[in-house]
Amino acid sequence: MKRVVVTGMGCISSLGHTCDDFTRKLMQGESGIGPITLFDTDGFRVRIAAEVKAYDELDFFPEKQLTKLDRYTQFAVLASREAVTDAGLNITGPEAERIAVVHGTGIGGQSTQDINYHRIYSQGIKRLHPFTVPKLIPSAGASWISMDLGITGPAFATTSACSSAGHAIGMGVLMLRAGIADVAVTGGSEALITFGTIKAWEGLRVMSNDTCRPFSKNRSGMVIGEGAGTLIFETLEHAKARKAKIYAELAGFGMSSDAHDMLQPLDKGAARAMRAALDDAGMTPEDIDYINAHGTGTPQNDPTETRAIHDVFGSHADNLAVSSTKSIHGHTLGAASALEAIATIHALQEQHAPPTANFLEPDPQCDLDYVPNKARPMSMSAAMSNSFAFGGLNTVLVFKTYNES
Amino acid sequence: MTESISREVFDILARHAELDPDKVTPSTLLQMSGVDSLLMVEIIFDLEEHFDITIPDELLGMQNQELETAADVVRLVEKLIQHKKTS
Repeated sequence: MKRVVVTGMGCISSLGHTCDDFTRKLMQGESGIGPITLFDTDGFRVRIAAEVKAYDELDFFPEKQLTKLDRYTQFAVLASREAVTDAGLNITGPEAERIAVVHGTGIGGQSTQDINYHRIYSQGIKRLHPFTVPKLIPSAGASWISMDLGITGPAFATTSACSSAGHAIGMGVLMLRAGIADVAVTGGSEALITFGTIKAWEGLRVMSNDTCRPFSKNRSGMVIGEGAGTLIFETLEHAKARKAKIYAELAGFGMSSDAHDMLQPLDKGAARAMRAALDDAGMTPEDIDYINAHGTGTPQNDPTETRAIHDVFGSHADNLAVSSTKSIHGHTLGAASALEAIATIHALQEQHAPPTANFLEPDPQCDLDYVPNKARPMSMSAAMSNSFAFGGLNTVLVFKTYNES
Repeated sequence: MTESISREVFDILARHAELDPDKVTPSTLLQMSGVDSLLMVEIIFDLEEHFDITIPDELLGMQNQELETAADVVRLVEKLIQHKKTS
């Protein structure tokens, strides 16, 4: 089987507009969660989110183009530009046909939908902008990445709520292994902090008003975040031929479905995905040193994920460092697996486990080592990143330090 | 308990828990009737819509013991209706 490595990373998030901002604040445990500024939260129960800050779209895109670019698409393009530049990829000639784009999103052009439907439903506006449809469709991100970067190989979007980017990465990796492409530009994007969407999330009663405290006893729910992450995956032979720098090797990828409930997670489903990823990697549980958990901070997820980890890792579970960086960058849904893959790779590179921020006190139902509040230096050669979506759609990625042999 | 409010609350509980409305009494235990946290979220939504009240998130936590019986729900609804009238 072809080996697949990561050669470039890019992201935009509540921690800043670049990957450097993201990884620096991640390790410092400096949270991007704060009061919502994107709309007036008067009358809302939920008033906090992890917003992309100090963002002016005109700094990155010409005004004329913006009539076609939803905020989620802008983030997808910006993260991908950074990742491609970081990888030093030259996208010209026949090379462009051998590059794939697979970019996920949970919902797509949500602000376009929200604002425009508000206009026709309640403001008496009679017509919508001609580009409303191409702007809101959830494949717009993949399309714009391919157009912006001139990539002409296979391109599509994946959608599976909080696992969207995980499935995108998985599909990219499978295409590389199958020889369909040499490079995959893959990840996910989400921008859903809008009046209507947050109102809908509020109804679910899973949102915190305090902050995100994964695995902590007094956790009060999840906090929505926005942003995008893109990773450049490449066959090892292609990366070596062009002398690319290699961040890490994608060791394994696993998927499963709970076939259980749209909202309640199932430990058995999560465990199946982790086992599938280990099997794919040809690894045993003892090979894993660190897990970047799904860790949403809801009462339901955290004990379920803890049980699943115990189930898969047995006695080795007590040796693992397990953290949820959602406490720092929020739950970015369709971008989550990509941002957290970047966090996981960075952990391997720095030999530091990023912390679970905002941790106050242990919960008897959550009894693993969650790296509370402070990053920890530790030796690690392989790490796992979990994503367990609403509706029981699970993806797990395993990365390892790249070694020639 | 006001008769009409408790009847309306019992009807909402019965519909969601798929119980015979006449079998719901003040001492009906929600958990024993199959009301889990997700079903509770839907019940809360219907109660809010029906009575035009807002039930705070804090009352829905996992450790929350305040909503054990049908009578607890009626008392909460009555309290919030009263609160709405006086504010």
